[in-house]
Amino acid sequence: MADKKQGVVGAFLDGAAGLAGSYAATMTHLFRKPVTEQYPEYKRPLPARTRGRIVLTRSPDGKERCVACYLCSGACPVNCISMQSEVGPDGRRQAAWFRINFARCIYCGLCEEACPTLALQLTPEFAFCKDDIADFVYEKEQLLVEHGGKHPDYDFYAHAGVAAGGPKGSHIGEDDPVDVKSILP
Amino acid sequence: MPDLIIDGRAVSVPKGTMVIEAAERLGIMIPRFCWHKALGAAGACRMCAVMFTAGPVKGLEMSCMTPAADGMVVETFHPEAVAFRRSIIELLMVNHPHDCPVCDEGGHCLLQDETISGGHSLRRFPGRKRTYLDQNLGPFIQHEMNRCIHCYRCARFYQEYCGYRDFGPMQNANRVYFGRFDDGALENPFAGNLADLCPTGTLTDKPARFVSRRWDCLRAPSVCLHCSLGCNVTALSRYRRVARIEARENAAVNGSFICDRGRFSAGYEAIPERPRSARLDGNAVPAIEAETALAARLAALAEKHGPGSIAILGGLRSTMETQAAGIALAQAAGWRAPAFFATRTEQAATQAALAVLTPPRARSLAEIGKADAVLVLGVSPLFDAPMLALALRQASRAGAKIIVADPRPVALPLPFTHLPVPPRQFPAVLAVATGSPDAAAAAAQKRLPFAPELWPGLETAAKALAAAKRPALVFTPGLAAALPDDDRLGLFPVLAQASSAGAALLAPTDAPGLDELAADVAAGRVKGLVVVEADLFAAAPGLAAVLGKLDLLVVLDYLPTPTVAAAHIVLPTTTIFESGGILAASDGRLQAASPVQSPGDPVARDGAGSHPPRAFDRPLPGTDPAPAAFLLDRLARGLGLTLPREPLAALAAAIPALAGLDLAALPQDGLRPAFAGLAAPLPAPLPLSAESGLAVIYTDALFATDEPGRYAPLAQAQTQAGPPVLLLHADDAAALGLADGLADGLAVSLECGNRLVPATLHLSRAMARGVIVVPRVPDLAGLPPILGPCGLRRR
Amino acid sequence: MDMLLGVVVMLVKMAVVLGVALGLAAYMILLERKLLGRFQVRYGPNRVGYFGLLQPLADGLKMLLKEDIIPDGVDRRIFLVAPAVVAGTALAAFAVVPFGDGLTLFGHRVPQVVVDSNVGLLLVLALSSLAVYGLALGAWTSDNKYSLLGGIRGAAQMISYELALGLSLVPVVMHARSLSLSDIVAAQAGLPFALLEPVAFVIFIIGSLAETKRVPFDLPEAENELQAGFHTEYSGMRFALFFVGEYVNMVLLGAVTAIFFLGGWHGPFLPPIVWLALKVLAVPVFLIWTRASLPRLRYDQLMALGWKVLIPLALLNILVTGALLAAGV
Repeated sequence: MADKKQGVVGAFLDGAAGLAGSYAATMTHLFRKPVTEQYPEYKRPLPARTRGRIVLTRSPDGKERCVACYLCSGACPVNCISMQSEVGPDGRRQAAWFRINFARCIYCGLCEEACPTLALQLTPEFAFCKDDIADFVYEKEQLLVEHGGKHPDYDFYAHAGVAAGGPKGSHIGEDDPVDVKSILP
Repeated sequence: MPDLIIDGRAVSVPKGTMVIEAAERLGIMIPRFCWHKALGAAGACRMCAVMFTAGPVKGLEMSCMTPAADGMVVETFHPEAVAFRRSIIELLMVNHPHDCPVCDEGGHCLLQDETISGGHSLRRFPGRKRTYLDQNLGPFIQHEMNRCIHCYRCARFYQEYCGYRDFGPMQNANRVYFGRFDDGALENPFAGNLADLCPTGTLTDKPARFVSRRWDCLRAPSVCLHCSLGCNVTALSRYRRVARIEARENAAVNGSFICDRGRFSAGYEAIPERPRSARLDGNAVPAIEAETALAARLAALAEKHGPGSIAILGGLRSTMETQAAGIALAQAAGWRAPAFFATRTEQAATQAALAVLTPPRARSLAEIGKADAVLVLGVSPLFDAPMLALALRQASRAGAKIIVADPRPVALPLPFTHLPVPPRQFPAVLAVATGSPDAAAAAAQKRLPFAPELWPGLETAAKALAAAKRPALVFTPGLAAALPDDDRLGLFPVLAQASSAGAALLAPTDAPGLDELAADVAAGRVKGLVVVEADLFAAAPGLAAVLGKLDLLVVLDYLPTPTVAAAHIVLPTTTIFESGGILAASDGRLQAASPVQSPGDPVARDGAGSHPPRAFDRPLPGTDPAPAAFLLDRLARGLGLTLPREPLAALAAAIPALAGLDLAALPQDGLRPAFAGLAAPLPAPLPLSAESGLAVIYTDALFATDEPGRYAPLAQAQTQAGPPVLLLHADDAAALGLADGLADGLAVSLECGNRLVPATLHLSRAMARGVIVVPRVPDLAGLPPILGPCGLRRR
Repeated sequence: MDMLLGVVVMLVKMAVVLGVALGLAAYMILLERKLLGRFQVRYGPNRVGYFGLLQPLADGLKMLLKEDIIPDGVDRRIFLVAPAVVAGTALAAFAVVPFGDGLTLFGHRVPQVVVDSNVGLLLVLALSSLAVYGLALGAWTSDNKYSLLGGIRGAAQMISYELALGLSLVPVVMHARSLSLSDIVAAQAGLPFALLEPVAFVIFIIGSLAETKRVPFDLPEAENELQAGFHTEYSGMRFALFFVGEYVNMVLLGAVTAIFFLGGWHGPFLPPIVWLALKVLAVPVFLIWTRASLPRLRYDQLMALGWKVLIPLALLNILVTGALLAAGV
């Protein structure tokens, strides 16, 4: 078009064709089936790794996986995780309290990446509304679930080698403890 | 002075410096595990390998084992060295467990740092991991032997540096184990340093176990309050509670270490009993109300009886700012000059002990560790000033002779000569040992004959001090007058409490002793008493006994002392962790502490043990405490007075030793003022007491005999339950008829004031005759200086 | 008695016209949202009532309950009156719009128009010109730079296109020889003027698009440049008045287009009122379709189109029509 000098009629026809084209395009759309998914009636199945509400999972033996190592709170860019660790009744390190302020959470998933025991996991649940913003502060009891989430088989204490997870030498890939009072080779 | 080039930068270091240390001077941190500044090299970890490309040494060598030499060219990032270090870290990690999440070292772990910076991320070794059984090493150190990388730092510190034998390496080859032969608490009173020293999580701080990660803690440089040495510490606080105390490097004072008392005596700032709100006649009131009432009552008192009827009393655990504010307020209001010490004599003695520290004679703690003969007079190092014992140990390791003259049985982790003499013989010991004119010695011997068994020890002391190039004398304040005038002999005083030196520096010469105040109160001359951070029941039982005669008792304190309970008006103050401040160490060294946390209830308490409440719109609870200096300033305003803006600076400007020092910008290592020496000779400080009866000697324990430490839950837990233990020489016991049968552990009663305190009597032969050693506990405060014949009786 | 009856009839007619106009405007909003949705392969509102039929009610309720914010610095009297001017002029124009030949009720001939004025066409033009005051004053008094820009654009645009609009109606009057709308409809009993005067019809449609400030001529409120332009500072019911005014205008435009060019209620087979309804609705639907299809014009393009194309074309069209009429074709 640019190389050819158009006359008035040419320009008029060109413009009219353009107008007609866009009217036609919208008209054809009118008879298509809408692509909208009707949300509350139809919930799209989300991938397992969608980053939604955070849960604390359990190891295969049903015990809490979280050892309150503070890595998630250290990784959190918005400081929405806080906790206090303690020695649990079984000698394991655990969270005395653990809270996530979902009103502040940005669902970036860095906490999940940081979690060394695979305890903290993000779930596809994204729609949880509250009337009061203070209700978004979830405590450990609300965060704990009864399953292993995306990694049902992993047990940190089976690898860790600390006595809280079983006697020394009983963990995966460990030798029997050294007898320091024996001189036998 | 060898000159060498490290990573393209030239450096010149003293002869004998290792390359790793030379690199550190340039700010180049060569990876290391076994090497430590205070412990030297062991060559055990092979981590500090660097490449020597030219000079007397060529090739890959350990930088901690290679002395710097002229012409050396060192490349720390030579590819060969990097590859070597990478394989070393991989080897070290072969047996290291997979437990960083539950390890307390995580976050400040040298092994973690080096593993990550070495680029080792995947274990290639297919074999099984070696494991060890752990031991219970007592209340302070947590043992997790699987994590060990065998750098030998712990063993070298424990056995060589400290001189204790109950912990060390066992077994051989791949089975080397660091521990005790059997489970049990570590005997070393410096064992807490193992947590700082261990580059892995093998030995960690047990009380701080699982409390916090390092990165979550607020950290600030602070100064230890638990003896007079003024060791530098780092306070780590989390959730408004001091989570742990770590040693802070100060080459002149404590080096890299601190004692367990300093490390584990925090916690008094978070106890529930701590006064956290102002109290008026026993009722908690808003601070402003208490302050208004206080100003009104003080004004009324001054109106009725004159300003001289009000006295202010300063504590020996306050910062110098607080002490100065108290002095300034007393001067401005015309009250009795502030009292700090038990007697005027004690005050004068303490002031003299600082005044004699002229620049050629003053020694720092580090210099005591380098002396070649040390005479310790009247100090039991391990208990009166624990880090002194470590300094003496270093001197002893270098061959110094150590002589300790003290009436108490003395234990030290080093070879030393103990002279069990009663305090009244200290001047004589000093005279003999320093070879003063024979006449004095003869006179002393005539009046107070030494027991014959002491003479060999005295002779050793005299010979050692005479032969030494850098002799040093560690002394208690009372001896300042008796010191020989000899610049060769270095001096290092040990004072009663953390702020004794500060009080001695600042107190006006006409300041009364607490005993005078007690007399004034009893006589009705003093009607109002303002007590700033002191417990009268421990510091002045005589005064505590007559508190009922006062019209007004005002206490500003951060500890729940009995004095606080007895006060009419209480204003809560902040601890050193909340306000910081300047403290003077026993050698007069001024050191600044920074605040580390805000005053306020610890989060755990606020949340009733669990998590804090969810409400975010309420004020922080328990934030009424304010720095005592601030409260005193407000009180002055309430009375219509104006204190100087900076009372300490104003006061210091008038004190010759402190004039001209910039107290707002003290150097990192602290600043020791140049004292001018004694202005006038002192009268003989210790009167020769009567022979009848037992001289009372108060002694400290490692834990919970210092005032803040008494309120620290962890330190308190280290004390034994049961009646206090008294020590008596077996001969004295025999003379008193207490040495029969089960004399050791005999149940006795001690007459204290008008009470009988039950106690347990132990006998010893390693102590002076004519004395009774009494623990410094509030129950036993206020014994007469000489215990009469009926003072001690069988229960 | 007659007079009383006349008053009652007048009141009833006014109520009917107002009700129809406002109801149509409300559902026009829903229609637009539904249609735009479908044009964009979406559903449009479908949550309130069946097919979203209660959506206008919900919207109205929402607007009523919203806070009526009056910003600091506005001239309160003008600020409060401006939206009413916009909506009021649009509603007033319906007074002269006829809905049919007339009915015979109880023996009385009742014209299906509120006021059968013999200058109805002029009245429609005059009222649509008055609307610009509401817009310009509301914009100017908002004390907001976006509003001011929007108001200036709106005033300039409406004055410019008023000319073309007026000129495009001259041939209609020439054919009908009357300014009364009923007469104009009567004149189209045979052939609608749209076929007789296609050029005038096109100019009229374009001009009225500009008059209603709709895409592609929505420069006064251009959202992405001016933050809603002249009604940036309006909220709640006052904003709703502007909004209603726009949609009443659309219906009005449908009505006058039907009357001037599409033959009013004339048409075969179906009853006249149905024909009229169909024609009245066809125009807004076309406007919505246009909104879905065309992008917004640049301001200079808008002015160039108005002054350089439409006005000369309209003048030429008058000359040609006059010549043809004079020639008696």
